[in-house]
Amino acid sequence: MRNFKTTALLLTVPASLVAIGLYAAPILQVLALSLTEPKFGLANYQSLFANAAVGRVVMTTLKVSVMTTVLTVLASYIVAFAIIHMSAGWRRISLFLVLVPFWISVLVRAFSWITILRRRGVLNSTLMDTGVISTPLDLVYNLFGVTIGMVHYMMPFAILLLYANLSDIDRRIMQAARSLGARPATIFWRVWLPLSLPGIALATLFVFVFSLGFLVTPALLGAGKTLMIAEYISVQISSTSRWDLATSLSTMLLLVVGIIVFAAMRSPALRAAFVARPQQ
Amino acid sequence: MIISHFAKDAAEIALEKFNRGEIDRRSFLFALGGLGLAAAFKPGVAQADASEIVVCNWGGAAVDAFAKAYGDPFTKKSGMKVVIDGAGPAVGTIRAMVESGKVIWDATDGGMIDSLTLGKGNLVEKIDYSIVDKSQVPENFAGEFGVSNYVYSNVLAYDADATKGTAPTGWADFFDTAKFPGKRTMCKWIQGQLEFVLMADGVAPADLYPLDVDRAFKKLKPMLADIIFWEGGAQTQQLFREGEVVMGNIWHTRANLLNKETPDKFKWIWEQNILSASAWSVPKGNPAGKKVFDFINSTLDPAGQLVLLQIMGNGPSNPKTLALMTPEDAKVNPTTKENAASQIMLNPAYYAEHETELQNKYLDFISS
Repeated sequence: MRNFKTTALLLTVPASLVAIGLYAAPILQVLALSLTEPKFGLANYQSLFANAAVGRVVMTTLKVSVMTTVLTVLASYIVAFAIIHMSAGWRRISLFLVLVPFWISVLVRAFSWITILRRRGVLNSTLMDTGVISTPLDLVYNLFGVTIGMVHYMMPFAILLLYANLSDIDRRIMQAARSLGARPATIFWRVWLPLSLPGIALATLFVFVFSLGFLVTPALLGAGKTLMIAEYISVQISSTSRWDLATSLSTMLLLVVGIIVFAAMRSPALRAAFVARPQQ
Repeated sequence: MIISHFAKDAAEIALEKFNRGEIDRRSFLFALGGLGLAAAFKPGVAQADASEIVVCNWGGAAVDAFAKAYGDPFTKKSGMKVVIDGAGPAVGTIRAMVESGKVIWDATDGGMIDSLTLGKGNLVEKIDYSIVDKSQVPENFAGEFGVSNYVYSNVLAYDADATKGTAPTGWADFFDTAKFPGKRTMCKWIQGQLEFVLMADGVAPADLYPLDVDRAFKKLKPMLADIIFWEGGAQTQQLFREGEVVMGNIWHTRANLLNKETPDKFKWIWEQNILSASAWSVPKGNPAGKKVFDFINSTLDPAGQLVLLQIMGNGPSNPKTLALMTPEDAKVNPTTKENAASQIMLNPAYYAEHETELQNKYLDFISS
């Protein structure tokens, strides 16, 4: 047994080396640059806080991320809840459909949304042909379009996280609630929802943190008007050569995400999500 | 740096043409050569030695186009191989290379503004005008640290169906939503943007620089909701094709492609077009040494520049190329006399000084 453990541990060495080489080292380099470009000190961080433009980019990012998180978790909960109540056959089909978007690149998905949402797109044409609206709605190249694209990107993740959590809940508790005379709504609000809080907390955290770093979707669907942190950093690296600004902002983002995750993991709901489930 | 954005885009155009069978493989390779993209395209790290010239441009189809327009003719003349590396000679990349002493490029396709920035940072060699024939290009195209290989313009393109056949007459019409209702597009990279806004506001071409940013923003502010900002050339074609916009400030190469697709619908005007010059630079400590200037000199040759115009639509930096053009070529070329009548030239010195600050102000402005 001891031999097996040693071997198992050794097997993780190559992967760890790759992760350190390709991930940790560049991050440290970014951190180093943020402290030394153009000269050593914390001046870059000071100017970051004094920069009103960066403040606006951060606010846009927070606004979009919060909206995305709320909508994604809400919609995903409904889908996941429906899936666990399906028969085994339908469940397989539904889960397959949830997985399909994973095979499609984020670029293709963004362009597909443009096709649907643009002024002469599928949605506007249908609404105009049926007489619901007379002039096309501005559904894309703005905050609205960005949010739709991001919710669509995040939903499969959230659905799978919630599905895993919901399908673990012991159904006998609902039977017990029913036998005590609870109505379906009461069972949902007082039994399902509290028991699925760990899943909701995990999905919320995951979607929010992921949303903070979106690059392609806001760039394409926002057409310059929805400027989020990742795109801002990319412009400072490749177009304006403001490496001082880019690296200090990246480091701050990493730090803030780290703090959020650390704080969230201390909450009872999330701790419960990671506790090994009891075998039935 | 718009230059890089443009060069990349020109390569995409050539690739599309090649894919549609509009140009043969030879012309395609030739055009890429013209963009500084290669006799033999080697992806990844190009191996530099003194018997070859390594040119870096922005990749894609421009690799082959440069090979054809610049590489092949030089190889024929000198016997030296020309390798085109499409890795993208960003200022930051050149800086990293020169500072670490591992320079693998001899000539980089980066634009007049980049050449000034690089020169200021002491990262590039001075152009050796004892080898490069200065008289081949106009005086302002022969800079201390960069000599122009091709040019391109920002023009006002419009959807003639949407304007019911009325042609706009200048940038002022971009802002005239009463006369020309519908959305507009302009670029989210700063070069060539505030110039047109200021001209629309009545600033005389001679008074454009230094750019009055506040005045431009004030003029632009009421229009913001009606503007879709583009970041790549292909996107501008898409916006027009899909009827998303009726008018816009786009590159002449893309306006030309739109017009070729649907001649009666998509048109552009040359009035008040804004000309930019791309340029070769030579990173300090380049592997081929002085020999690179023989190559650079040969790219100023009209024959190669004409090939680049035909494959990618990039205008020549050598005025002698004009004499070789067919009427068709001349119509789509920004340096043709009629097309350049009310042209203004982007001021590289101004941008080298202020672009970073301007770009960030502009991004902040359009996103708030």
